[in-house]
Amino acid sequence: MKTVTLSKFLPLACALMLGSVNAQAGEPSRPECIAPSKPGGGFDMTCKLAQAGLKDHHLLDSPMRVTYMPGGIGAVAYNAIAANRRDESGTLIAFSGASLLNLALGKYGRYDENSVQWLTTIGTDYGTLAVREDSPFKTLDDVIQALKKDPKSITVGGGGSIGGQGWAKIALLAKAAGVDPRELRYAAFEGGAEHYMALMGKHVDLVTGSASEIRAQRGNKIRALVVYSEERLPGELASVPTAKEQGYDIQWPLIRGYYMGPEVKQEDLDWWKAAFAKLQSSEEFQQYLQDRDVLPLNVTGQALNDLVKKQVEDYRKLGEEFGLVAE
Amino acid sequence: MDTIHYLGLGFGVALTPYNLITAFCGTLIGTIVGLLPGLGPVNGVALLIPIAFALGLPPETALILLAAVYLGCEYGGRISSILLNIPGEASAVMTTLDGYPLAQQGKAGIALSISAWSSFIGGTIATIGVVLFAPLLAKWAVAFGPAEYFVLMVFAITCLAGMADNKPLKTAMAALIGLALSCVGIDSNSGVYRFTFGTLGLADGIQFIVLVLGLFSISEILVLLERTHHGHRAVKTTGRMLFNLKEGAFVLATNLRSGVVGFVLGVLPGAGATLASAVAYMSEKRMASKDNQFGKGDLRGLAAPETANSGAACGSMVPMLTLGVPGSGTTAVMLGALTLYNITPGPMLFQNQPEVVWGLIASLFVANVMLLVMNVPMVRIFTRILAVPTWALVPAIAIVTSIGVYAVHSTTFDLFLMIGIGVCGYILRKLDYSLSAVLLGFILGGVMEDNLRRALSLSNGELSILWGSPITLAVWALVGLMLAYPIFRAVRARKSAQLLIAD
Amino acid sequence: MHDRIFAGINLLICVALMALAWGYQAPFAYEPVGPRAYPLLLLSLLVLGALYQVSKPAKQTEAREEPPLNRQVIRKIALCIAAMVAYAALFEVLGFILSSVLFAVAMAYLYDATRVQSIVAGLMIAVGLYLLFDYGLDVPLPLGLLAKLGN
Repeated sequence: MKTVTLSKFLPLACALMLGSVNAQAGEPSRPECIAPSKPGGGFDMTCKLAQAGLKDHHLLDSPMRVTYMPGGIGAVAYNAIAANRRDESGTLIAFSGASLLNLALGKYGRYDENSVQWLTTIGTDYGTLAVREDSPFKTLDDVIQALKKDPKSITVGGGGSIGGQGWAKIALLAKAAGVDPRELRYAAFEGGAEHYMALMGKHVDLVTGSASEIRAQRGNKIRALVVYSEERLPGELASVPTAKEQGYDIQWPLIRGYYMGPEVKQEDLDWWKAAFAKLQSSEEFQQYLQDRDVLPLNVTGQALNDLVKKQVEDYRKLGEEFGLVAE
Repeated sequence: MDTIHYLGLGFGVALTPYNLITAFCGTLIGTIVGLLPGLGPVNGVALLIPIAFALGLPPETALILLAAVYLGCEYGGRISSILLNIPGEASAVMTTLDGYPLAQQGKAGIALSISAWSSFIGGTIATIGVVLFAPLLAKWAVAFGPAEYFVLMVFAITCLAGMADNKPLKTAMAALIGLALSCVGIDSNSGVYRFTFGTLGLADGIQFIVLVLGLFSISEILVLLERTHHGHRAVKTTGRMLFNLKEGAFVLATNLRSGVVGFVLGVLPGAGATLASAVAYMSEKRMASKDNQFGKGDLRGLAAPETANSGAACGSMVPMLTLGVPGSGTTAVMLGALTLYNITPGPMLFQNQPEVVWGLIASLFVANVMLLVMNVPMVRIFTRILAVPTWALVPAIAIVTSIGVYAVHSTTFDLFLMIGIGVCGYILRKLDYSLSAVLLGFILGGVMEDNLRRALSLSNGELSILWGSPITLAVWALVGLMLAYPIFRAVRARKSAQLLIAD
Repeated sequence: MHDRIFAGINLLICVALMALAWGYQAPFAYEPVGPRAYPLLLLSLLVLGALYQVSKPAKQTEAREEPPLNRQVIRKIALCIAAMVAYAALFEVLGFILSSVLFAVAMAYLYDATRVQSIVAGLMIAVGLYLLFDYGLDVPLPLGLLAKLGN
């Protein structure tokens, strides 16, 4: 009886040990992408892009896994990587502009932007404002004039709490109108699409969002007033004017990408960089991104470090201006 | 007439042998995943998306697979609720109330088959509902703003009072504890961290899975330890594995009512399925005659939440398909899957890719039939779980529970939290507090606070927004009805008693 | 009596939490309700309920079906909780397989299995569940010590 059990287990135990040995020289073992959120949503999407892209282009032999580590818009994952899982060569963590904003506002605890290694970006997104199709607001200026007249005349919905992504986009607008953001009537909805439902149900007049959300909402009776990008976006949203065109200099880009633990070796980091560089150079993948409402953006190495630092710095200034940074 | 044409088209897609096999595998895998405490439809669906990709399944087939897994998981979750008293997810909480007592009485087979049958009816009602009213329902879902949600939650809490029985204060306290627990974590309006004691593990609040597995699974393990010590043997399932016609007829009216309730509430994004099962259970309990066995193994008490939540599971597809808004955690994952397939759900989907929409609707129906056909013969196998000796079952439950909890954050903090909650749950259970009330309070509490705050932010602090729309007024009327009904019945009972005496 | 003790503890916890909640204020005062009103409301309701329970405990309406706790049972329950805590602590350090084997063997033994039974059950459950979850269901589990062996 016992020998039978043992003979069954031995090969199994061997298989387990072997499973953790690298399949191919150079390729980090147990590749994993951590989405610092619940399944579904932007971080999950960012991980799925890497998972599908690297596999379809045969850049990764062993399958990449997607794990979820929700908590404080990335705070839990950031701390886990910066404190405990510092040297895992196979682990990527998805980040976005929202992570950087929270990092800047001190919501990630004792760690700052230098506590991890920024790997690469994969795409970008831009902030938007949208109204119902039958709304009296036709341009950004209409909204600003209305806010100037009475900041309480417009109800605004967005994803995330005060000081978060959704709120910042309207606060910037209030600033442009010379109105105290405290005067606004803003309701925080769960991320995703709840605020668009509230817009359609006439519970709010204006929603803040992002270009990819607007594309995901196509067919619903809403109209984008403005996109907070430098230039007009390609494709379907080409008809939406930028804030700059309408006379207000507001930009709100939202990069998406991956970071790794602070003690991951340079050679492993380089391996990943090379893999993503190959992936990003594929035209097929570029199209793949665009089809999924992601505008391709490939920034890596020192350029990415600078970009992250600059964004965190900008957000920190903004936070101080609005009195959001916890001292 | 277009609808029928498209539905035919949908069934044409769903009934091809290839897709039928896919649906079969989906329901089977789903049932197994759902059976494991801690893993639910979110995991099941998330698990299969990469596989669907790897196999290169066409979008309709992938959708069918996902729908089948979804419904399979929903059903699998009932099995652990009924047999082990461990609800795998929010909507299965109400199932434990009467399902577990039934299993304890040796009627596990009957309970499981009634549950499968009820799920089937609920799913069918909801599928018909989706076919007939999908576009209309989109309007209904959109009409629910913050104020409406708040009032709806007030209604749900009033329904909770029906759980009180003879210990109103303890039930109220249990619900309040649940409501208070929902305050833990980041405040979604102001971004302030509340009751986190500096731990990031609590930043997003207590995760539902951690709470439910702590309260139910850990406390059950401890109770089983007591029983083992006193030499209790496991309950053997005796006699029939299938419910008979009489039992079927007994719960039919409950099935029909609860199916409609489930579907209508399931359409609302948010707490749809849980809310639906709670409301269905409570209203059936109120409607039942005085000598009902609710809470001690009444078949209607099992049928009501089962029908309602499977109705709600189908109903939650409506906002996803018509508006592109996920109605639940699972549909959020499905939405992600659709995006990867480059399908954008929303009103355009009905026009541009009707084969996908109607294929999905038809496959929901097919999956419902499949579940019934597959699970009824398997009831015998499932009830075998009860025959596993405690010394093998308990370690397995404990480890599966730990995996489920660990998988949420991939940190061991949640394991400690679960054990802490479990010990508290055990104490509460020993003192005869209702753990289901804690759990429902927790689920409803978060939605209630968020929406109250949103509503008041929008109205600039004016309370009148809470009764400003026809829907809010209608729900308030329901609240009044729910409160007045027991009084009304007491008065009537007294009157008829007087009449009897007079005679 | 137990009810009263519990209500008393509940009362103390709620009061402490109320004191804590009193300090919750948004750095940016801006919405009409604020983060502390709702928890304070709930906690004060809990305090009222607990006060009532302390002064007037509920009558034991139904006869207990379970026999009362004795010293032996309490000892076993404490052991069981200790095993779970140890499992949680070792979960990532030892890795899933090793910690689960230890935990499952201990638990099976605690639930009146014979020694042989608990060892066989422990091994089978731990390895079986690892295969099921890590390979079958794609839920990544920590390898812990085994990972170091592999590399």
